[in-house]
Amino acid sequence: MNTITTKRFNMEDISNAINIGLIVVDADSKVLLWNNWIAKHSDIQEADALNRLLENAFSEPVSAAFMTALKNTLAYRLPVVLSTALHRTPLPLYNASEANQPQTRMYQSITITPIQSQQDESCCLIQVTDSSTSIKREKMLRSHSEILKKEATTDGLTDINNRRFFDAHYEIAVAEAKRQKHPLSIYMIDIDFFKSYNDYYGHIAGDNAIKLVAGALQSQLSRATDIVARYGGEEFVLVMPHLPQATAEQFAEKLRRAVFNLAIPHINASPFHRLTISIGLCTGIPENDDNLLNKADAALYQAKQKGRNQYISLPLCETHEYLEQ
Amino acid sequence: MSGLSELHLDALAEIFSIGAGRAALSLSEIVGDEVHISVPYVQVLNSEDINSATLSLNSGRFGAVSQHFSGPFNAEAVLLFTEEQALKIVSDMMGSQMSLEELAEFEHEAMCELGNIILNACLSAMADILHFTLESSLPHYRVASANEILHRFKDNSDQPYVMLLHIDLVIEKRHTTGNLVFLLSSASLTNLVIHVDQFLGSIA
Repeated sequence: MNTITTKRFNMEDISNAINIGLIVVDADSKVLLWNNWIAKHSDIQEADALNRLLENAFSEPVSAAFMTALKNTLAYRLPVVLSTALHRTPLPLYNASEANQPQTRMYQSITITPIQSQQDESCCLIQVTDSSTSIKREKMLRSHSEILKKEATTDGLTDINNRRFFDAHYEIAVAEAKRQKHPLSIYMIDIDFFKSYNDYYGHIAGDNAIKLVAGALQSQLSRATDIVARYGGEEFVLVMPHLPQATAEQFAEKLRRAVFNLAIPHINASPFHRLTISIGLCTGIPENDDNLLNKADAALYQAKQKGRNQYISLPLCETHEYLEQ
Repeated sequence: MSGLSELHLDALAEIFSIGAGRAALSLSEIVGDEVHISVPYVQVLNSEDINSATLSLNSGRFGAVSQHFSGPFNAEAVLLFTEEQALKIVSDMMGSQMSLEELAEFEHEAMCELGNIILNACLSAMADILHFTLESSLPHYRVASANEILHRFKDNSDQPYVMLLHIDLVIEKRHTTGNLVFLLSSASLTNLVIHVDQFLGSIA
């Protein structure tokens, strides 16, 4: 007491001015101190709380874990921490919110420390801090990082995956197919006569056409394992695991038809005068240095040579290719 | 050398097992799932003899929760888990509501609480059974490498003795092991021996 009275300020003023919650209880858990912060966030005035048992001082129940912690501190005189992560809101405390909005229960970090009263009784100091703001901050950082992550792997024009995403995904997909010995299908897709489309209809129409084609390709995918990405200007690439050769080829035809059915007029593209795509497909179980992507690209070249608006499928294994020829 | 016989160590292992049981009960209450903690054995070593083998520390980083205790004997108690284990324990306890990498602040706080529960339970069991009271600082959590940890233990001439508890912790079928290390001064060790002797005398 002496040390306090010789100070030029009152400890009670401090406890009421401080921006954390302070409660002191005695060995029977009767409330001896209830600072302004607690009064404000519990909506229970000090006068109504003093001398009541802590579990009855609030208008709602206190969490069981909090009561266990308090009992332990009173019994063993050892300090206890209750983390936000494991407890969220042990005490019925609320954050002041805008009028006519429901109040939200405050996320709390709590420390319970044993102290001695002036009568040498065993008491406990309960300190409560509001972790709502740090949770909000962490959540905000997380959602920002998710947005950035998404932006970094999405193509700005078409909203499908970009080249960066494809490069990473392709490597993983090939490794997975190698390990599990299952087939992987790569489709390289190119819009036919796109340069002349751009020249005739202008770049804005060109961009629009790319968007429509991307949408048509994307809409054909239904499995979570399948991805489509914009590979370059008017080039797209699809990665699809687990397809038998015949199914993979049927799917290539489905892709061709989906774009054909968009019926985007292209006056300079004979004989259909609409926007079409050529597809190079390579399906196989990758081993060693087999390069599905190169094969698919070679197939795409052949599809262009053979008249466009079609798919060409090349097997991964060279010998099969010779046999077919 | 340490003045603790096999009998003393058995008695301490027994006492800490009671504490571990209490800690498991508290943790079960928080997690809402069964938690088992056991203390298979207790060792007392000279701090010079402590090495990565005695602590079963491999490479990598460790989560360490420490509290300073004072009373009839003074000790710094440090609970060690590998960082990976610590993360798994806390993520199991927290459920899937928060992801760990992104909520580091909460993970540290939760780890502090986990350590606090285990340390307090072991110390309070000891205080109960050996009839004394202890005071303690608040828990502190830090992440350190095996080398940093060993260096700190060895470099402590005030606390030449190390009492080492191996801990098995099982949460939701996930089994992890950790170490609880008490750094003791010579005087503290002597006082601890006296208390254990009194206890053994009382049950003899």
